[in-house]
Amino acid sequence: MTAVPGVWRTARITPLGELLTPPRMTGVAVQLVIQTVLVVALWRGLYADTGPTTAGLSREQAVTYAVLAVLATRLRELDRYAGRDTVMQHMHFGTIVYWFLRPVSPRRYYALRALGDQLYGLAWAAAGYAVCLAVGVVQPPHSAGAAGAFALSLLLGQWVLYYIMLLIDQLCFWTLRNSAAMLILIFAQNLLSGVYAPLWYFPDWFVTLSAFLPFQATLNVPLSVYVGRIPLADAGPQLALQAGWVVLLAVVTRLVWHRAALRVVSQGG
Amino acid sequence: MDHRSAPWNAVRVAWRITKLNFRAQLEYRAEFLLMIAIGAIWQVSVIVFATVLLTRFSGMGGWDSADVLLIAAMRMMAHGLFVLFLGRMHALAYRVQEGVIDAFLLRPMPVHRQVQLSFFPTNAIGDLTVAVALFIGALVRSSQEWTAGRIAFLIAGVLGGMLVEAALFTAMGSASLRYPAAQYWSRWLEELLGTFGSYPLNVLPKALSWLLTFGLPLAFVAYFPAGVLTGHGSALGVPMWLAAASPLIGLGLYLLSRLLWSWSLKHYTGVNG
Amino acid sequence: MSGDTRITGDIQVRALTKTFRTTTRRPGALGTLRSLVNPLWVTKTAVEDVTFSVAPGELLALLGPNGAGKSTTIKMLTGILVPTAGEVSVAGVVPYRERERNARNIGAVFGQRTQLWWDLPARESFAILRDIYGVPDAEHKARLREFDDLLELSSFWDTRVRHLSLGQRVRCDLAAALLHDPPVVFLDEPTIGMDVVVKEQVRGFLKHQVEERGRTVLLTTHDMTEVSRLAERVVLINDGRLVMDGTLEEIKRKFGDTWLVRATLADPEAAVSALPGIAVLQREGPRVVFGPEGSHAPTVHQALKQVIERYEVSDIALEEADLEDVMRAAYQGAALEASDVLEESAVRGGAGS
Repeated sequence: MTAVPGVWRTARITPLGELLTPPRMTGVAVQLVIQTVLVVALWRGLYADTGPTTAGLSREQAVTYAVLAVLATRLRELDRYAGRDTVMQHMHFGTIVYWFLRPVSPRRYYALRALGDQLYGLAWAAAGYAVCLAVGVVQPPHSAGAAGAFALSLLLGQWVLYYIMLLIDQLCFWTLRNSAAMLILIFAQNLLSGVYAPLWYFPDWFVTLSAFLPFQATLNVPLSVYVGRIPLADAGPQLALQAGWVVLLAVVTRLVWHRAALRVVSQGG
Repeated sequence: MDHRSAPWNAVRVAWRITKLNFRAQLEYRAEFLLMIAIGAIWQVSVIVFATVLLTRFSGMGGWDSADVLLIAAMRMMAHGLFVLFLGRMHALAYRVQEGVIDAFLLRPMPVHRQVQLSFFPTNAIGDLTVAVALFIGALVRSSQEWTAGRIAFLIAGVLGGMLVEAALFTAMGSASLRYPAAQYWSRWLEELLGTFGSYPLNVLPKALSWLLTFGLPLAFVAYFPAGVLTGHGSALGVPMWLAAASPLIGLGLYLLSRLLWSWSLKHYTGVNG
Repeated sequence: MSGDTRITGDIQVRALTKTFRTTTRRPGALGTLRSLVNPLWVTKTAVEDVTFSVAPGELLALLGPNGAGKSTTIKMLTGILVPTAGEVSVAGVVPYRERERNARNIGAVFGQRTQLWWDLPARESFAILRDIYGVPDAEHKARLREFDDLLELSSFWDTRVRHLSLGQRVRCDLAAALLHDPPVVFLDEPTIGMDVVVKEQVRGFLKHQVEERGRTVLLTTHDMTEVSRLAERVVLINDGRLVMDGTLEEIKRKFGDTWLVRATLADPEAAVSALPGIAVLQREGPRVVFGPEGSHAPTVHQALKQVIERYEVSDIALEEADLEDVMRAAYQGAALEASDVLEESAVRGGAGS
């Protein structure tokens, strides 16, 4: 806790790397625009052939949900791979040893990096949100209360997501590679959190299943609160559930860090 | 060695390397099993998504569910075959940065073939398993009469779809020989193909479906051939002959992309190691 | 300021042992599939009962063939690996027990593995490390200036690491490892793959760090010029066991007291027999190779004299082993008798040229 200035310098590694590579940023902007336009067109097209409301979601709610989901993917889709700073690459190149040679624990270093990454992603998402709001493809939040609940819920959701990604990265300490697990995660995240389609459209068995998994806590809860599909009055238990996931995953990942360190010290990394 | 045995020899070498690659994949146990699972699960998600859309939104762009299923099945089959035979362009930008191309250029084998033989795509096993299941499901549900001519066009359509996807990623690979940032586009492109490649594009406004036909030839992967087979030919937004020529267009695009690859390789400047 | 302060830290290693448990593949395709479900475990001893120490301000070269256990030893000294048995203390800290405290006392460079951030200019990496180690700004600036003077970093430290050449990158890595002023430094093959000019620059830098700044350095390398230029003392390990601990001169005396006298006899048919302390190692027609035998072998000059006195020669040449030969003899023959070593190197010498 003494090295407070160290926080921001470690945190800004990814943003700085991105800023120094303009083609990447152009790429992100172009992709974000195309993706948003396509998603808006798709949901408007689907609703054009159906009634004004499906599964309790109106056309506007559905489009808002879908666009916010696209923007939210920016929060996590950062390329630490390009900067050769993923756990998998460190295991591959043998540079993971340096993580254990510094007076900052790997756990703290990882957390700081992720914090910076997610804040940088948030800047993108916020900019995109502002544009979408101005153009009118996204509705403003239902009420001030909903906005507040959404902000809190989004924070908790990102926190859950951080732990899930951390768990996948920690897998590398045992399997050396985690690209398959990472793909599964991205898939599960996209499907079970509502990036592909709002969870409300899915069959009941599917919704029940996802209620037992942490993924819907990352995105479906905050977005549903935002569009008003989860009324403010019902938001409390959902927020509590998110917080529960945060606590549970915090304990698990901490334990795994401990085991990972033990593994490094017995096998040499 | 006479001229007949040279290609045969190439096939034998390719087969031997593939066997070794497969063995190498087995070295990472968890990764191997997960990789097969991922292929399968990923494709199941596409099915779940399609089912959700079909049940919630009656008549996607005027297509009934059996016909939409055929698009999805053709696209998934094409994708699985692409991953198995012509994939591996995805992470090329990283390999280029690691100096792998420099090493490939030293060996007496075409660089493109070496890239293809660089590792075994374990996930294709899962991809294809689900694709075959979906394909059979789509054929059973379809009300079409499967004459020899239709079956031939169906196969040609799938192969054409494979070639369109291969062409896109070969072009990406060519770009990544020079620009590391191409990696960013590869992943996005794959997601785009997965989400918008499996549905009738006439759900989208004209301008967008036009863009996904002539800007990015996504419509040729499965939408057009499936449209021709299911009798939507007049409502595809392009002349019937163009939609029917999808397999040939796939072949043409792929040949073009290989020319681009050769050109890029000739202008390859190496990486700073 | 801190320009002429000498920092001190020593390394103590006693009866250090490390064994690994790893999986191995069963032979055959079926075996591979079986290993997928039920892996086969084997135990391997990487380091066994190694004892040595490095005094403050001393540079010690840890030598040995590939796979001898050098890197494993360094990993235990840096706190990455926990020993299976034995004791380690680095600057008074037990590395694996107090990893973070030890981290502040040591700097490390592992050959071609860089700790710099790939996407950022090297100078940004220095700044990040400054914050991680909590180095005061003024001190950081002064030290960067010092390193720049010795390693000429400023001409490329604003380049992103991915675009640096190997020599530039390793120089940056050296600087990165020493920015927090550690009393003890571990260098695992730092100059591997570098050109002579850069190597010379790095050696100068290391010499300065040891002699002027009093840092304790443990170095592994396969470059014998480097050893003779830098190391006062050498520890030799092979197969995980300590073979020898002494000065370079002592090693030379033990393994490198080899010489060869190559003589061409005037009479190709002449009978040749061994002289006291001198063996005939090889004979091809008129060409005979003599070498020392036993513990009371004469020096090369005495041997030369004896050979000339005994036989009529038309040509004669003598060879003394250089450091590379000494090390080869040491690596190959650590466990063998001295005469076996000689025979081996003589045969190699004959076949080589």
